[in-house]
Amino acid sequence: MERSEILKQFEPANENMLNILHALQNNNSQNYLSEEDIKIAANYLNTTYSHIYGVVTYYTMFSLKPRGKYIIRVCNSPVCNMENSTKVIEEIKRFLSIEVGETTDDKRFTLELSECLGRCGKAPGMMINEDVIGNLDNVDFKSIFENYN
Amino acid sequence: MSKLVNISIDGKKIQAPEGANLLQVAHNNGIKIPSLCYHKKLTPTGACRLCVTKIKGTNGLVMSCTVSIKEGMEITAFDQEIEETRKHILDYLLAEHNDHYDGTYYDEFREWVAHYGLDKPENRKYPNISKALNYKIDDSSPVLTYDASKCIKCFRCIKGCDEVQGKNVLSFSERGITSYIIAGFDQWNESECDGCGECVQLCPTGALVEKPHRDEVKLDKLDKKVITTCPYCGVGCQLELSVQDGKIVRSDGVEGVLPNDGRLCVKGRFGYDYVHSKERLTTPLIKKNGEFVEASWDEALDLIATKFSEIKEKYGNDALAGYSSAKCTNEDNYLFQKFIRVVFGTNNIDYCTRLCHASTVTAMLKSIGDGAGSNSIEDFATTDCLFVTGNNIIETHPVTATYVKNGKYAGKKLIVCDPKWTPLVKYADIWLQPRLGTDVALLNGMIRVIIKEDLIDPDFIEKRVDRGMEAFEELKQLVEKYTLEKTEEITSVPKEKIIEAARMYATARTAMIATGMGMSQQVTGTNNVFSLINMMMITGQIGKERAGIDPPRGQNNVQGATDVGCSPLIYPGYIPITNEENRKRVAKLWNIDFETLSGKPGLTTVEIMHAAYDKKVKGMYIMGENPMVTDPDLNHTEKALKKLDFLVVQDIFHTETTPFADVILPAASFAEKEGTFVNSDRRVIRVRKAVESPGKARDDWRIIVDIAEKMGYSIGNYNTESEIFDEIAQAAPIMAGISYDKIEHQGIQWPCPDKNHPGTSTLFLEKFNTPNGKGILNPVEHVPQTEQPSKEFPFILNTGRILYHYHTSTMSRRNKALTDFANESYVLMNPGDVVKFGFTNDEKVKLTSKQGELVTSLQASDQVAEGELFMPWHYSEAPVNRLTRSDLDPFSKIAAFKLTACKVEKI
Repeated sequence: MERSEILKQFEPANENMLNILHALQNNNSQNYLSEEDIKIAANYLNTTYSHIYGVVTYYTMFSLKPRGKYIIRVCNSPVCNMENSTKVIEEIKRFLSIEVGETTDDKRFTLELSECLGRCGKAPGMMINEDVIGNLDNVDFKSIFENYN
Repeated sequence: MSKLVNISIDGKKIQAPEGANLLQVAHNNGIKIPSLCYHKKLTPTGACRLCVTKIKGTNGLVMSCTVSIKEGMEITAFDQEIEETRKHILDYLLAEHNDHYDGTYYDEFREWVAHYGLDKPENRKYPNISKALNYKIDDSSPVLTYDASKCIKCFRCIKGCDEVQGKNVLSFSERGITSYIIAGFDQWNESECDGCGECVQLCPTGALVEKPHRDEVKLDKLDKKVITTCPYCGVGCQLELSVQDGKIVRSDGVEGVLPNDGRLCVKGRFGYDYVHSKERLTTPLIKKNGEFVEASWDEALDLIATKFSEIKEKYGNDALAGYSSAKCTNEDNYLFQKFIRVVFGTNNIDYCTRLCHASTVTAMLKSIGDGAGSNSIEDFATTDCLFVTGNNIIETHPVTATYVKNGKYAGKKLIVCDPKWTPLVKYADIWLQPRLGTDVALLNGMIRVIIKEDLIDPDFIEKRVDRGMEAFEELKQLVEKYTLEKTEEITSVPKEKIIEAARMYATARTAMIATGMGMSQQVTGTNNVFSLINMMMITGQIGKERAGIDPPRGQNNVQGATDVGCSPLIYPGYIPITNEENRKRVAKLWNIDFETLSGKPGLTTVEIMHAAYDKKVKGMYIMGENPMVTDPDLNHTEKALKKLDFLVVQDIFHTETTPFADVILPAASFAEKEGTFVNSDRRVIRVRKAVESPGKARDDWRIIVDIAEKMGYSIGNYNTESEIFDEIAQAAPIMAGISYDKIEHQGIQWPCPDKNHPGTSTLFLEKFNTPNGKGILNPVEHVPQTEQPSKEFPFILNTGRILYHYHTSTMSRRNKALTDFANESYVLMNPGDVVKFGFTNDEKVKLTSKQGELVTSLQASDQVAEGELFMPWHYSEAPVNRLTRSDLDPFSKIAAFKLTACKVEKI
C-alpha cells in the first residue's frame, strides 16, 4: 500500500504516532522503519525526525534495520526462562542458522527475544508475527516454520 | 502580580510571589542550592535530583525545582542528610561519566563534583563504567560536537531547543543507561538543526561544545569578555564576546537582558570570524592608472578633500551624494549625515533602507505618523494573534521568530501570508498563499469579510480614526467589490481561508502584524502597507499593548540610521528638512549659518544612481554599503558608478562596489567600535569595543571628521562616541532622555523624551503621531502588476534571504561555520514546472530577464507555486539584481525586487 494511503487512516495527532509507525512498519516488506518512513511520519505529524527516531529506538518492537518477512519473538521472561526458553532459543538458532537479532539469508525469518507475552500457562512460548505459539519444549520446529512462507 | 507569601529557608525569612519556583526563589536570595537540570529559562525538569530539600509537613526529600511556594513553607536546604544525598547523586552520575576536562568550556557539573570533594577518585564510592558503555560522539555538525560520555541527561538541551528556540530538533534515543541525545536520525549534520547553539549555551557539562575555535580557547587564558550588540539583523541581540590573545574566540547570548535574553541564532553565535579575516582592508588605497595602490591616510584624505571640493565648486552642492550605512553605528551615521548636509551642502543622502522598508515607512508615516515598529520584540510571544506577511521571519529575524514560536506553543494564533513556503508555515494555523503581487486584493477581501461579519471596532474608529465613520464608509465602499469570488480569482487564495483568517485576526483580543520585504519590495509596496493598516485600524488592533504593526528591520542599524537623519527628507528624529524653523533649530545646534543648510529634498538611493547615470551626480561617498549587489538592475548601477568623476568607498572589505572607487578607506568593524545601534523595537543599545582594528583601519566617524576638516569644515570636536550621542539626543527629541550611562545594562526604547522617562515599549497608546493625533485610513485599489509573465519570460522571479547569510554576505561568507551550512546559489522551481519544461534537479541553468542574465543551479521545490521562482540574493557570483527591475513604487521610491519576469534555459 502507498504510504499516503496508510496515513489517511489516522488523524495527524501525536497520540496516533505509535499506530502510524506500526502500520508503516507492517507495510514495509522488510518489516522495518526506513528513513523515508520516519520522514513521512514526521511530516505528517508536523514534528521533527528526532522525535520519531527517539520513539522508534525506545520501543523494541520497532526496527531500524531491514528484517525478515516473519519476526520470531521468543519469550525470555522469568516463567518461560524457568521452562527452558534458553533451549528453545538455541534450537531455533541452530535450525535457522542465525543468531538472535539476525535474519535468514532467504529474508524469511528474523529471530528476536521478547518480554512476557502473557501466555505463561503455555510456557515456553513465542510469537511469529501476530501468532502466539506455546508449549515449545518438545516441538518440531520444522513443522511450525513450514507454515510461514 | 501574584501576592507575596512568607517562607523560610534554613531559618532565613523570605518574601516572594505565591507560586514562584522554590529553587529560583532560593537562588534569588543567595541560597545556592545545588542544581544541574534546572535553568531559569526552562520549565523545571526534576531530572538530576540535586536540588533536594526538606519541607516541613512533607515526607521525604523534595526536589525544590518542582515546588511552587506557599504561605508559611518551612524549608531545610542544607543538613547532613541532604548533603549526603546530593553527594551520593553526584557520585552515581560520575560512575557513568567521562570526567576528562580540557578547559575550553564552563562545566557546572565539574564544579559541584569538586565542591563535594568527588574530584578525588578516592572519595568516590562507585567505579567508573563510562568506557564500557561505548558512548558515541557525534562530530558531524559544522558548529558543535556531542559527546554522550559527558552527558548527564539533564534535558536542558532538549528543552532549550523546544521551549526557548521552538525548534524541537533534539530528542533522546535508546533508554536507561544507554540513552543519549540525538538530532534527526542520530546524525547532527543531516538533521533539522540550524546551528543556533542554544543547546551548547545551556549544557551544564561538556557534552555539547562549540566546534569553531575549540582548539584555541582556554578559559583561563581569556583577556576579557565584552558585552555588545550583534552586527547581523535588526533584532539587536546582546552578545558576550570572549577575547583571547586579541581575538574573538567565542560569542554567547547574554541572559536576562532584552531583547534576546540569552537567545542567539547561528550568525550571532558563530558569525564573528570575519572580524579577523585576512581579507580585511588594512590601509587606504588610491586608484592609480587603474590599479589600487597603498596610500597613507594623509595622502588619501587630501585627495578626497581636493576632489570633492573641486566637484562642489564646479558643479554645485547637489552634484555630490552619499550612501550611509545600516551596519554602522548611530554615531557614525549621525556624523555622516551631518557631513553631507554641512560639508557637501546637500540632502543627497540615503542608504539601503530605501531598498527594504521605505514603502512600509512611507505608508506608516502617512497613516499613523511613525515608521517604526509599534511593539516590543518579546510581545511576539504574548499577542493573541500574529499576522506575518511577506516576512520569512525564521530565517531573517531568527531570534524574534523564537518569540513567535513561544507564543504559538502557548496557544496563540498565527497566520502566515506568503506566496512562498517559509519555515514558519509549519507553525501556522492558517497559511495564505496569494499569487505574487496580489496583496492589496487579498487584504481588501479580508476587510470586506470583517465588515460584512460586523467584526469592526466602531468605538476605535470613532475615537482614533481621522473623520471616523465617514472615512470608514469610504473604505467600506471601496472594498465592496472585493467579493470572496473576486478575491479568490485574483489571489488564488481559497474563500474559506480568507474568511477564516479575517475572523481570526479581527476577533483576537490583541493582534500584531509583522510585515516584511514581501510586502514592501513591490511597485505597490506603499499600497500594500496601507491595506494592512486599514485592516488594523477598523478592527482596533492598535493603540493597546500587544497590538500594532511591526516591520522587523533587516540590518543591525537600519532603524538607527534613519533615526539619526540619514534620509534625504529628514533631520535626526524625523524632523522634516523642508521646514525653515527646523533648519534654524538644527543650524543652531550644529553652530552653522542656517542658510547654508539646503531645504531642497535630496535624492533617494535609486535616484542617486539614476542621477549619476545622467551625470548630474558627479561625486559620491559610500560608507559601508555595497550597491553593486543591493541595487536593482545592476547593469544600470554599474554604468552609473563608472560615470562618476570621483567615488570614495569606506568599508571593512573589498566588495563588489570597491573596484569602481577612486579611493578605498579601511574602516573598523562592529567589534572594534564603541557606539550604539537601534534595533527593530526602537531600542537604543550599546556597541562596545572588544578588539583592535587591523592595520590602519579606523573608526568610521573619525574618518568623516577628518575629511570634513581637510575640506575646511569642522563638524564637531568629539573625544568619545558618548559625546556624539549626547549631540544626537539634543538633535532628535525622540532620544532626548537617552545617554550612555542610562543604557549601560539594557537598552531603552525611544521615544524617551527626558532623563526620567523609562522609554516606550508600545507606541500609539494614546494617540497617533499624525498632525491631529488620529490615524488615517487610505483605501487603495488592487492594481494588476505591470510585470506579468509572457511567452518569452514565462516565470515570475521572487527574491529573498536565507538564515545563513546576511545582506551582500561580505561578512557572513567569511565564516567557516556559516559557509559550511550554505555557500551556493540556487533557484527554486516548482516540481511541476521542472517536469513540464524538461529540467532536472541540480542542473545548471541560465536565468534571463529584460535587464540581464545569470547562471545558477536549479532545485525542484514545492516551496514555490507553479509559474514562480525564488532565488536568494546573497551570492554575488549569481547576482539576482542583474535580473531585477529598477521600476519604483511612486510613493516611496522602493524598487520592485520581488517581481521580475524571467525565462529559464538549460546550458
